[in-house]
Amino acid sequence: MNAGETRTRRRRGTRAASLAVAPLYAFALLFVVGPLVYMVILSFLRRAETWGVVRELTLENYAHILEPVYLKTFYESLKLASLTTLLVALLGYPFGYFMARLSRRWKQRVMLLLMIPFWTSSLIRLYGWIIVFRANGVLDRLLMALGVVQAPLKLLYTYTAVVAGMVYALVPFMIFSVYSSAEKLDWQLVEAARDLGATSFQAFLTISFRLTMPGLLSGVVLTFIPSMGLFFIADLLGGNKVVLVGNLIQEQLMKARNWPFAAALSVVLMILTSLMIGLYRRVSGVKDLEGLV
Amino acid sequence: MKRVLTVTLVLALFASLLAGCGTENRDGQGRKTTLNLFTWEGMFPQEVLDEFTAETGVTINYSNFDFNETMLTKLQAAKGGDYDLVIADDYIIETVIAEGLAQKLDRSKIKNFGNINPIYQGQFYDPHDEYTVPYGAGVQTIVFDPKAVKIDITGYADLWDESLRNNIGIIANYRVINGMALKVLGESYNTEDIDVINAAGKKLLELAPNIRIIKDDNLQDDLLSGEIAVAVMYTSQVTMAKMANPDLKVVFPKEGIGFGIMAMFIPKNAPNPDAAHQFIDFILRPEVSARCFEWLGYYCTNKAADELIEPEYKEFLTLPPEFTSAGMEMIQSVGAEAEEAHARVWTEFKAACGQ
Repeated sequence: MNAGETRTRRRRGTRAASLAVAPLYAFALLFVVGPLVYMVILSFLRRAETWGVVRELTLENYAHILEPVYLKTFYESLKLASLTTLLVALLGYPFGYFMARLSRRWKQRVMLLLMIPFWTSSLIRLYGWIIVFRANGVLDRLLMALGVVQAPLKLLYTYTAVVAGMVYALVPFMIFSVYSSAEKLDWQLVEAARDLGATSFQAFLTISFRLTMPGLLSGVVLTFIPSMGLFFIADLLGGNKVVLVGNLIQEQLMKARNWPFAAALSVVLMILTSLMIGLYRRVSGVKDLEGLV
Repeated sequence: MKRVLTVTLVLALFASLLAGCGTENRDGQGRKTTLNLFTWEGMFPQEVLDEFTAETGVTINYSNFDFNETMLTKLQAAKGGDYDLVIADDYIIETVIAEGLAQKLDRSKIKNFGNINPIYQGQFYDPHDEYTVPYGAGVQTIVFDPKAVKIDITGYADLWDESLRNNIGIIANYRVINGMALKVLGESYNTEDIDVINAAGKKLLELAPNIRIIKDDNLQDDLLSGEIAVAVMYTSQVTMAKMANPDLKVVFPKEGIGFGIMAMFIPKNAPNPDAAHQFIDFILRPEVSARCFEWLGYYCTNKAADELIEPEYKEFLTLPPEFTSAGMEMIQSVGAEAEEAHARVWTEFKAACGQ
């Protein structure tokens, strides 16, 4: 067999490989790039008097976003997303970290317990929270029985309820990514640090924390991005009183029938979210996000 | 014994099959007549549809749509054919008529036309009642629990009362809610004056501390569970709330009443317009209408049926006898600029409710 033959065969191999992945590219083009381009184009069009859009280029929709009412929704979204992410990190990091230190058997059990809720639709699980929070609901009755409060608290349809719902919905993603990072951690390094005189806290900070950073950061990304867009939690648990960009986009699209404005809002939201992720990576100096990017 | 039973059952089955064939109605050429009804799911009690078939021999082919817009698209694609009778909302019927997709009704075939409540006639979508017959009507009311409210609510202005702090639930329909403020200011729902809409927005900001929930789905549950004491909601929700708790009070706001109508029309090229006329006439019979509205939970548009509605439903399915159309106004589409002003005012208001 001479060299030329091998070359052709190899070339044929690559051609076959590229043919094999072609559907994947086609799929991505059709269902990812396509809608994205459509949305960007839409955001520069003008709305029609009653229904649909007019083919007429304008920057009006972006100018609209600069109105204080709409800018405020971006601020509200960032605020809620940051608060949610912080709380999720505080709860999820220790959970994921200590979960990785459990025995193999217990790891499996805890994993199962974490997975089971996903068998139910997240919408139905949120209705569960309504039962807990509502007037004379589970929480009210418990607190009154314990004598902590005398009258029913009006917990449902408050900001607190929204934050609780957001944290609940997103904490598993933090746990999973921290866990997968901590799983790979070489505990001998921690032992070595202890041998060299570090306190357990020093050892955690200099060794374990550093090495689980990619997990924490991918958890942050996995929490932050969805919490910018999760609008139904603010709808259901907040009684629609917290206006997030997600709510605004949904309403402009479905009710005001202002598709170009909804598209412009989505474009800005996407740019903003990408910038935030870039910022995280720059600040943390972590290039490798666990399982992401 | 067992065999005898089986044979009897089989024979009974055959007999019923044969009976089924017997009642099947056929036109002159021996074809079966059907009525192609196109509307939302669950608009009529099944018994009423069955009775119509039993009486006229016309079988009903019921197909549904979810959104008015879907109906319009399908009707356009069928060039006004395929369907014999459509029931949809007022604003979309305006477009259907303008597009020439509806046909004029033949009044001589609708003997019960006079039963229609004139309050619901001559509206913007069909000013001379040439194309449509109203079916259910949605009437914007205020519902409250008298035990949880200290004041007597008679109109929208009362919702601004301080005693209702954090105690009101409203639907997420900004034309209805902004409309409340417009009504308090003595304006029309359909004003296109941006300054007036902005003034209504300012007025709404004062209402914000009283608002506890803004949502479209199942608002009646929050009223029933005591989460809120007052609600401004859709007619079907009012009906559900009243059925569950008859002590709730339903108020026709004194500033004026917004309403919407779902109406029946016959498409331009309906395959069987005769059956459609027959069906409209059948539904307009007072005793049939009364049963339909009790089942549907929307306001009765059949004046002759009003008195047949059971007393327990009367308060929320019929207008009081002394009622006049003077204060009533339908919500219509407004221009893009006014629509945007409404959307902005609404977003400001919602954000203020969360403060």
